[in-house]
Amino acid sequence: MKIRRLSILLLVVFIFSVLSAQAQDGATIPAAQCDAPGDLTLRVWDENWAKTVQTIVDKWVADYCPGANVTVNQVPWGQYWDLLKTDASSGDLPDVFNIIQAYGQEYINNDALLNLQPYLESAGIDPSLWGAGSVDPYRSAETQDVYATPLEWVTVAIFYNKDLFDAAGVPYPTADWTWDDFADAAAKLTDPANGVFGAAVYAQYQGGYGDWIASTGTPPVVTADHTTCTLQEPGSIEALSFLKDLLDKGYMPTVSQLGGTSADDEYNLFKSGKVAIYLNGAWKLPDTIRDVTFNWDIVQLPRNPTSGLSRPILHASAWAASANSDNPDLAANLVQFLVSDEGQKIFADAGGVAPGNPNPELQQTWIDSFGDTNVNIQAFVDASKDTQSATNFNGDAFNQATADLVINIFDLGVSVEDATAQACETMQPDLVPAS
Amino acid sequence: MATQTDLQSTWSPKYLLGRTPLSRRRALWGLALVAPNTLGLLFFFGIPVVLSFVTAFHEWNGIKPPIFNGLENFQTLLNDPKFWQALGNTLKLVLITVPIGTLLSLSIAILLNQRLHGRSFFRTLYFLPVVTSTVAASIVWAWIFQAHYGLLNNLLAGFGLLDLNWLTRPDLVLIPIAVVTIWQRVGFYMILFLAGLQNVPRSLYEAALIDGATRWQRFRYITVPMLSPTTFLIVVLSVIGSFQIFDQVFIMTARTAAGGVGGSATTLSYYLYQKGFVGGEFGYASAIGLAMFAMMLAVTIFQLRLQRRWVYYESTDG
Repeated sequence: MKIRRLSILLLVVFIFSVLSAQAQDGATIPAAQCDAPGDLTLRVWDENWAKTVQTIVDKWVADYCPGANVTVNQVPWGQYWDLLKTDASSGDLPDVFNIIQAYGQEYINNDALLNLQPYLESAGIDPSLWGAGSVDPYRSAETQDVYATPLEWVTVAIFYNKDLFDAAGVPYPTADWTWDDFADAAAKLTDPANGVFGAAVYAQYQGGYGDWIASTGTPPVVTADHTTCTLQEPGSIEALSFLKDLLDKGYMPTVSQLGGTSADDEYNLFKSGKVAIYLNGAWKLPDTIRDVTFNWDIVQLPRNPTSGLSRPILHASAWAASANSDNPDLAANLVQFLVSDEGQKIFADAGGVAPGNPNPELQQTWIDSFGDTNVNIQAFVDASKDTQSATNFNGDAFNQATADLVINIFDLGVSVEDATAQACETMQPDLVPAS
Repeated sequence: MATQTDLQSTWSPKYLLGRTPLSRRRALWGLALVAPNTLGLLFFFGIPVVLSFVTAFHEWNGIKPPIFNGLENFQTLLNDPKFWQALGNTLKLVLITVPIGTLLSLSIAILLNQRLHGRSFFRTLYFLPVVTSTVAASIVWAWIFQAHYGLLNNLLAGFGLLDLNWLTRPDLVLIPIAVVTIWQRVGFYMILFLAGLQNVPRSLYEAALIDGATRWQRFRYITVPMLSPTTFLIVVLSVIGSFQIFDQVFIMTARTAAGGVGGSATTLSYYLYQKGFVGGEFGYASAIGLAMFAMMLAVTIFQLRLQRRWVYYESTDG
């Protein structure tokens, strides 16, 4: 009896101390004062982020590191990776920069990134708070140390044209709609006389065919450890055949009719009212809100009837620091501020992509940042509850394989079996041998 | 006074630039005046080329320092099906663009060598593509060849040919590349041919007319041989140029499948880019570059040897 009362007492004390620690701390990710100010360079690719980051950096300098000087550079996406590679080879990377999942392992394995694990540990930040899907791509495969911290998470959802739905008499989709509902809607919304296609949802890995494959429960295109091509698995074949079927029936435009193989090409047709349903990521929200003139809304990907999953691909870009930085401690401190509650609040207020920091208040701030849009942005947050972490990576054979796959199936009329077999063969040189 | 033999029998390093102070001063002046050009060539061409050849024997991912690996890159090259495919595509492009380009530019040059109204205007017009950037031209031509919205397919629709996928079909994709290449070069070769045509002595034609030669015979026995040095120059330049085709492939296949579906539009240059800048294998890419250099050198030497057979140089004593 004594032991029992003692253990209950201990339990209560434990719970109380945990709760009070939360109450004292408050912040999910704290910021910290820097040891000594200095000069840093910071590079991003997104011009909207560049402005937001400047604000964040100014706050950091003011509150946490007076006397520090940060130069913020923006290099457009098209040149960003080439420039980064060139800088890496001369040992001259910017002190802090954006990185994406596709390049994470390459830079980590070549010792280009600063190991952030010690800094996170001494600041009391547990990297698992970001969620495995967001942070694991930035861990070293051997040591599991974290080399980059998620700055945002992004996933995809269906954008649809409410006016076209009204005109065709199709009820708006709900969060639990299925692939069959989707196919029905696409059929009813297609209007060849006016050049309107029901849907365009296949173009990209994330924001296209990859999400449909993921919703069958299959890792899209390749396994997470980059050893095996998954395109010939039943789930992949099912998803690709489903999409090809819609294309063959004329409910979706071919690549030639889209004018290209990116979700932006689908967006162009959506914007001009030629496509009623399309798939894209949260990154497109600012442009869509600004440019689209008709009534539109967002809904999650339809559920696969067999697996019951609506599972879009999740990707998280991250902040990394250079291993060769002149001021590694200062760079790590800035990275910490960038992902802290305070830094991420500024990011969330600016709209655009959702902040990586999992603090629910920040997620709500992000949704509110879009203002009164009448659009269900919450669908993205709901979609993020069940996601597939991105498995793609940068490699010339891999890139060729995925590009060919889309063209073969959605432009040249090659059968799904042949196209997937070809793609698996093409990407073989880039697949890491399973050890 | 030093005699001729005395001067020639002794040599010391200070005579490197010349035997007399005056000749040395002149030599220095000469070197100084060509220095901007030679230094530029050295630093922006010579040294990088040498470094790139050295890198061909290393493994280098662009981030960590290069590792020497001897002839391994070349062994991989010989066994690499994508390399052979790229070589095949490049050779196909050479075989398409060189004859057509040469014949087309010759025809246009002959046409514009006659006394026609507005021939200066047309000469300028044909030369304009030469001064256009290949990138800009490729962007426009990519839209002309676009399967659904392109101008070409819209014209061909009238003939019942619907939506040919010029840029995505593996069997068709080399055609747009060849068209852009020829379109861009014809003007330049036309100018060269015009110069050549105008250097053919009129006396030859007059003599031929007196002998009763027909138009075709005059062309075949006077124009063609007299133009052969120019033709030779154009063929050599054209072959080298077609070996190096990159911009057109990069731009025209960018929106769909980069390098063509299944590598059907990948030329040697483009494969080098893919391996180096996308795949991050700079050592291997340099090996491709070195292989390209060796091939082009071999082809050019072969052409130089062959010229003795068919190129006729008018000698000074007629």
